[in-house]
Amino acid sequence: MKNLLKNLGTTLMFLAVSSVLSFLFFHLGNKNPANIALFYILALILIALNTDGYVYGICASIFCVAAVNIFFTYPFFKMDFTLDGYPVTFLVMLAVSIITSTTTTRIKKQKEILDERERKLAETEKERIRANLLRAVSHDLRTPLTSIIGSSASCMEDYETLADEEKLELITNINEDAGWLLNMVENLLTVTRIQDDSGKVKKSPEVVEEVISEAITRMRKRNPDIKIHVSMPQDFLMVPMDATLIEQVLINLLENACVHSQSVKPVDLTVASEEDFVCFKIRDYGIGLDEMQLPYIFEGKYTCNTVDSYRGIGIGLSICKTIITAHSGTITASNHENGAEFTFTLPKEREYEYDA
Amino acid sequence: MTHKFTVLIIEDEKNILTFVSKVLKKHEYKVLCADTGKEALSLIGSQCPDIILLDLGLPDIDGSSIIREVRAWSSTPIIVISARSAEKEKVAALDLGADDYITKPFGTSELLARIRTSLRHSNRLYTESSLYIRPYQCGSMLLDFSKRILTIDGEEIHLTPIEYKIVAYLAQNSGKVITYAAILSNVWGPYADSDNKILRVNMANIRRKLEKDPAQPQYIYTEVGVGYRMKEDEFDITSSPSAE
Repeated sequence: MKNLLKNLGTTLMFLAVSSVLSFLFFHLGNKNPANIALFYILALILIALNTDGYVYGICASIFCVAAVNIFFTYPFFKMDFTLDGYPVTFLVMLAVSIITSTTTTRIKKQKEILDERERKLAETEKERIRANLLRAVSHDLRTPLTSIIGSSASCMEDYETLADEEKLELITNINEDAGWLLNMVENLLTVTRIQDDSGKVKKSPEVVEEVISEAITRMRKRNPDIKIHVSMPQDFLMVPMDATLIEQVLINLLENACVHSQSVKPVDLTVASEEDFVCFKIRDYGIGLDEMQLPYIFEGKYTCNTVDSYRGIGIGLSICKTIITAHSGTITASNHENGAEFTFTLPKEREYEYDA
Repeated sequence: MTHKFTVLIIEDEKNILTFVSKVLKKHEYKVLCADTGKEALSLIGSQCPDIILLDLGLPDIDGSSIIREVRAWSSTPIIVISARSAEKEKVAALDLGADDYITKPFGTSELLARIRTSLRHSNRLYTESSLYIRPYQCGSMLLDFSKRILTIDGEEIHLTPIEYKIVAYLAQNSGKVITYAAILSNVWGPYADSDNKILRVNMANIRRKLEKDPAQPQYIYTEVGVGYRMKEDEFDITSSPSAE
């Protein structure tokens, strides 16, 4: 319905404009109908280009022929079919409108097909990523769940025979695994906050230190005795971001640094404000990263070669990458002489700058 | 004879209901349970609990309409239990009149602390004597409301009038989360601009004056997207609810 109105509107508008121009031209002294017919032909081409299908073009061409005949050829304001070459004018105008309509319709159709194909490709790509993630996740979730179910079942079944310390140990395991699961689920939930279609996030200006402090507080809930040393510029610093997501990135990176570095030295978190972006650097003083795996570290495949292999850090890192990319920032991993270092940047936006 | 506080738990998840009521009974609270909104409203009307723990996602009634209904006639503290991480919902519940919120999953100590804080604040309403104006104290920080002086380790910290107003308001509500909107209207008046940037700039300055490490604060915590929470006044922590 809306389309019909639009097409009709375009047609009528072009016809009206060309008629007005023709009348002006005619009254200014040029009485040659051939020149006036040119105005109508131009209008016909424009109509055919801007409407869908053939109908509007054909109707318009009939109108044009009639208009030239009635208004601009002698006898004026009368239909006269006996004029010389009348059928030729009519046929030419009809041909112009049909050819233009055909060409534009074909171009439009081709464009639609191309768009469709592109969308399908993007969709399969998205599906593939989703399937990979799901596979990795369900594998990673099953291990702690097995331990939780096993420990709780043995606790219930052998309640009488187990010593108190044994019960406590089993329950502690359950608690630990549940905590790990929660971490995992929170990671996955953050991904759902990234909008599906555009791959972008809703940003709002946030105070950097507030985000860092909440990330550290949340992490302390689970690991109360980790040590982090934060150094950041004295100035008030606001960066546009989705705070929940960036918190998750900080938690993932800091927790990796604390738990997997096998070092008791405090982790350094350094924030630096550059011209166009803010740079966060997380540096630990532990065993460092496996150089072989470094290029693939954000692809969700990195595993620690320690005993508890399921507590791998793969998904956490690939989620960090997804989040930072959605913020149009960059994330890199490297080794320095005493351990590992992760760096990510978030772009500043001019309009968010604030002079405190 | 010890008087027990009555806690009403409104929660449709049976396991959580069991676990919370076990913990609370252990800590000398009298526990009432409701797993639907209708049941909850009739219990609130007949039993008048001292504090309400409310899960927002109930099967029959929307959690926020329970807050609205209770607030129409009672100032009983309400702590919202929210499974959702959406800040907007928390802010909406707080603005409707809920006293505080706790996000699932929560630990027992966190839950008990929240309940204690909310009870303490609700009881403050009945003791409006001038004697009750005593300083806020936490760690080495001391805030004297009558002299309007804030000291850390005995050393006076200079605050601008606006900064003092913010800190004082948070200290009076210590332990509770205070939304941006509540601070804005309390400090700048009801017609304040709803843009909270001015508040956050002031807060950053306050943090630089009070905290040794602004990124790991000891006194004023940020709840990103919701507001601020000042560490609980230590004077009251010593008097547990069961001792009254």
